[in-house]
Amino acid sequence: MAHIHLGEGTFPVWALILWTTIGVVLISAIVYRIRKGSIKTHQIALAGIGAAASFAVFQLNIPVWGGIHMNLTGLVGIIAGPLLGALIALVVNIFSAALGHGAVGLLGANTLVNASEAIVAYYAFKTLMRMDWDVFPASASAATLGLSAGAFLMGAIIIISGVNGSALPRGDLTIAVAGLVGLNLGVAVIEGILTGFIIQFLASVRPDLVDLADRDTQEEPTGVTA
Amino acid sequence: MQRWKQYGGLLGLFAAFLAAGYWGFTATGGALPYAKRSAKALQRGVQESGGSLVDFGRGIVVAGPIRKGGMMIEFGAIVLVLVTLGIGLYIYVDRYGGFDDREPPVS
Repeated sequence: MAHIHLGEGTFPVWALILWTTIGVVLISAIVYRIRKGSIKTHQIALAGIGAAASFAVFQLNIPVWGGIHMNLTGLVGIIAGPLLGALIALVVNIFSAALGHGAVGLLGANTLVNASEAIVAYYAFKTLMRMDWDVFPASASAATLGLSAGAFLMGAIIIISGVNGSALPRGDLTIAVAGLVGLNLGVAVIEGILTGFIIQFLASVRPDLVDLADRDTQEEPTGVTA
Repeated sequence: MQRWKQYGGLLGLFAAFLAAGYWGFTATGGALPYAKRSAKALQRGVQESGGSLVDFGRGIVVAGPIRKGGMMIEFGAIVLVLVTLGIGLYIYVDRYGGFDDREPPVS
């Protein structure tokens, strides 16, 4: 659920320029890779549904840990892949900022945070599946790890940038940010479990959607008996 | 890999993250909505506080800036457009096999 929930003008201008530039470079590289044709058709369809689900869930505050929202970026990364997952993070953040949920000036930083969640979740899931893990523990672990990567990146961005108007010395700010990162890790568990169930369901009804068709085929009995 | 190792690893990860979550919850103001918690923690620093971890009485609500800013119709419209687009893409791909010029798969 990592997301920098601060208003406009909270970060100094140099930080806005820095995170926006890195975000633009990341998205440009992703668009270039997509145009080179490294996307499967079914991923595009899933990306559409993933964007809708992620955007809707992004705006719903659930009554756990005092009131938090989920992102589903881990889920999106696993089903749509790292490239489309990062683009979905950008789209969701643009729409959210347009509605006032998240500052427009922090679009670059928030896109980096959410894109990192999708990218890490995707590669963690692939790695665990190659290690012959079951679908549920692999997807739940991957989503949780992806979200934790986003939480740590969010913390790093805030600490590096500093917060305008905050009287806290850098050390105290770091401890406060560590608390926010810690809370995000707790939320990652909830989102990880939810992602695990969704991916397990998808793998049972449409294994091709999560690139598990080959694995299922290999495990399927041939039906030939002695 | 053996199943007990997989689930053991997963439970270990969850236990560590839940412990970190609980520490973060108490250290950053207790039972507060995330945006308020974030603003207070970054302005005033760590302040120990408690409260219930789950409060079903609060219900599931739309994010404050949208709800209080009178943007509910816009929110609903964007969700509707994205859902329609997503389902439309899914049906198109499922029925016609993709966006390129190749033959659709034989069913």
